[in-house]
Amino acid sequence: MGESVKDLLLVLLLFLLSLWYLSHSATRLDRLHHRVETSWANLDGLLQRRAAVALEIARSTISDPATSLILTAAAHQAREANVQDRSMAESGLSGALGLLLHDEISSTAFIEKDLMRELSELTDKIRVAIALHVDAVNRTQSVRKKFVFRVFRLAGRAPLPVTYEFEADVL
Amino acid sequence: MITQALRIGIVCPYGWDTPGGVQNHIRDLAEYLIAKGHYVSVLAPVIDEDSVPDYVVSAGKPISIPYNGAVARVLFGPIAFARVRSWISSGSFDLLHLHEPAIPSISLLACWAAEGPMVGTFHAAAKKQKVIYAIGPILEPLIEKLSARIAVSEAARSTLTEHLDTDAVVIPNGIYAKRFAHGERVEKWSGNTIGFIGRFEEPRKGLQILLDALPIIARFAPDVRVLVAGPGDSEKVLEDIDMQLRHRFEFLGRISEKEKADLMASIALYVAPNTGGESFGIILAEALAGGSAVVASDIPAFDSLLGHGEFGALFPTENPQELAKIVIDLLREPEKRRALAAKGRTHAQRFDWDVVAEEIFSVYEMSMVGGATVRLASENRAWNRFSTTEWGNQ
Repeated sequence: MGESVKDLLLVLLLFLLSLWYLSHSATRLDRLHHRVETSWANLDGLLQRRAAVALEIARSTISDPATSLILTAAAHQAREANVQDRSMAESGLSGALGLLLHDEISSTAFIEKDLMRELSELTDKIRVAIALHVDAVNRTQSVRKKFVFRVFRLAGRAPLPVTYEFEADVL
Repeated sequence: MITQALRIGIVCPYGWDTPGGVQNHIRDLAEYLIAKGHYVSVLAPVIDEDSVPDYVVSAGKPISIPYNGAVARVLFGPIAFARVRSWISSGSFDLLHLHEPAIPSISLLACWAAEGPMVGTFHAAAKKQKVIYAIGPILEPLIEKLSARIAVSEAARSTLTEHLDTDAVVIPNGIYAKRFAHGERVEKWSGNTIGFIGRFEEPRKGLQILLDALPIIARFAPDVRVLVAGPGDSEKVLEDIDMQLRHRFEFLGRISEKEKADLMASIALYVAPNTGGESFGIILAEALAGGSAVVASDIPAFDSLLGHGEFGALFPTENPQELAKIVIDLLREPEKRRALAAKGRTHAQRFDWDVVAEEIFSVYEMSMVGGATVRLASENRAWNRFSTTEWGNQ
């Protein structure tokens, strides 16, 4: 009799432990999903600002008409792209801005210098933001691949985050 | 853009009163942020509570344990954990900045106890050890909680990637470049002089390599002298030096920041023959900022700090012959030396706190997107959300 009570207690203990572990794992995954979302919001915000700066540069005297045309088109594409095309559109904008940065800019006007400085600051931040986002996505993907997470469907209906393939070297 | 003043909590894993790179980094960063108008509180293990600045909060007395080949003064245990928790719950921070959260100390405890925007900085660089397979599964879910990770060098970053399979943004350690820019030339320290700063008794600092190179250097540069600064027993080192070379050595003992700047402005060359165990090499950045030409061993940290040899000469680690060759070459050609020093000086501005702290701050901003603030993780648990008891405020 005493033996079976002991066994029962043991089973109960194990059950509670595994409940705790599952709840702990779910919290962990939830936190990761949250990180993916916030790091994306951050990156998205910075990219939007970059597109705005690109448009302003296109309107300024820094760029010749041809460059203006390319910049304006690229910036609009980047702004209007849906999620699937986003990274390609942003890479296109990076390329267009890269052309501008490679040329020596002789303009000494105050506003132009300001714009270029803002652009280079944004570029630095975007580089960091991409790294943060990619890391969050990678961690989430690798955690979701684990046995416990798959079997107990701890991710619920949250979509598997996709890697944002931003061509960092274009920046 | 965040323009309002933030409440920032920084956790230092090592004893505040013991000199060390991490402590210096935190002190400078905290003072920079305070000067910018932010509220900063640093939680650290402290031996003497009366001698710490206002912004430091003691988490208790540090414990000395051997870790990673040196004695680390860290702190953990239930009492420390309770203090960490009450610091977090009473601080109402916007953000926590945890230093070395993978080291068994209060940063790790804070990472465990807190929820919300957290940034972690990894300083150490180490070779992959087997033990990581055992501690990895414990650390990974904790490190995951950090919204952003910073590594102080490429070496520290690859350590993190190898050990914990996670990436980091590289932001170097900071120096006050301006303080070193105004060093005064001291006559007795100038001439064909080689500078060396550090705890010279530690083998990994590599003084022995310089000692081995000196006979060769002296043959080609007869008036060469070596100035050694830093804590340690100079008598013991001098005893081992060849009689004929002893007069070339001068031990300066511990020197002040001002003297350090003066030394860097006076010497012909700064030599860093370290054999390893270095993650960043702040002293090289200081030497460059002070206008000295630098010769260093090609360990990963130095190689990357010196731009693979562009801003300072590199020699193969633990090779006194190669070191001697480079030193002789640079001593004989002052023009070449000056050109190298000038390049290095410009490069050193990259490590100035004005640049470094702004980069760190922009990571803070990115971590705070979403608008959450720091709170205790336990407040988030289901049974606590419905209960009225507050565990955090002891």
